[in-house]
Amino acid sequence: MDRRGVGMSSDFSLFERHLDALYRSALRLTRKPEDAEDLVQETYMRAYRYRNRFKPGTNEKAWLFTIMTNVFRNRLRQRPAPEDPLDQPGADFSIYEQMRREGMPVHLMSPEEIIVDRGFGGEVKRALEELPVPMRMVVVLVDVEDFSYKEVASILGIKIGTVMSRLHRGRQALQKKLWEYSGRPKAPSLAVGAR
Amino acid sequence: MGDHCEQTMRRLSTYIDRELNEAEVRKVKAHLDDCPPCEQVFDFQAEMKRLVRKECCTDDAPTRLRAWVRQLATEKPKPAQ
Repeated sequence: MDRRGVGMSSDFSLFERHLDALYRSALRLTRKPEDAEDLVQETYMRAYRYRNRFKPGTNEKAWLFTIMTNVFRNRLRQRPAPEDPLDQPGADFSIYEQMRREGMPVHLMSPEEIIVDRGFGGEVKRALEELPVPMRMVVVLVDVEDFSYKEVASILGIKIGTVMSRLHRGRQALQKKLWEYSGRPKAPSLAVGAR
Repeated sequence: MGDHCEQTMRRLSTYIDRELNEAEVRKVKAHLDDCPPCEQVFDFQAEMKRLVRKECCTDDAPTRLRAWVRQLATEKPKPAQ
């Protein structure tokens, strides 16, 4: 219960700067605004409690995300989410490749045309939130929060190779879900010449 | 698909994520400039990454939560519910 007044409020304004980032990531992880808010509150409570362990000049955003992902994983352990199959291997999939296989003139279309006009763009959040947690965390940290592979490895306490494989599979799974939401037939897992 | 295409495709994610060293970046860039089919795959995957970021950046923290965090800097708040 110590109170170190000097420098504390300036330290904390440094942390406050990352509130929107923490909140939107918390929302992707918990999927519910109330739970996201609660997760962010606990993250800041801990950051406050352990603020003396933060080394000024190091990456405070990574520090906050380390706290938040740890809190989140501890909560999952208390209430395991049954719908998350851990690290399932999946067949390679990409929307671009699938459309090409189906004879679409993808080479004549811009990426925006492929994504938006074909209806793949609207449900990115939903697709992301349906990914298994380990993949979802990595995709959020790399693609949304712009952390490097090395930073993500440190935040989650996993190897860089694991970051890369989860990212790879996460992105493919995301595209597969977007493909299915767009009302197309379920993507075949081995789509050699499939129509 | 040639060897260069395969190598480029294998490095595409790390290239898009800016995780390659300079020499590797030069190689991938040179191939993409030369090979329209690979360049199109690159354009598409890069756009997917932008899309994920754009779609997810629309959720800002609620004002009430921001006020609570601000309070932390000045006084000890009540524990999270």
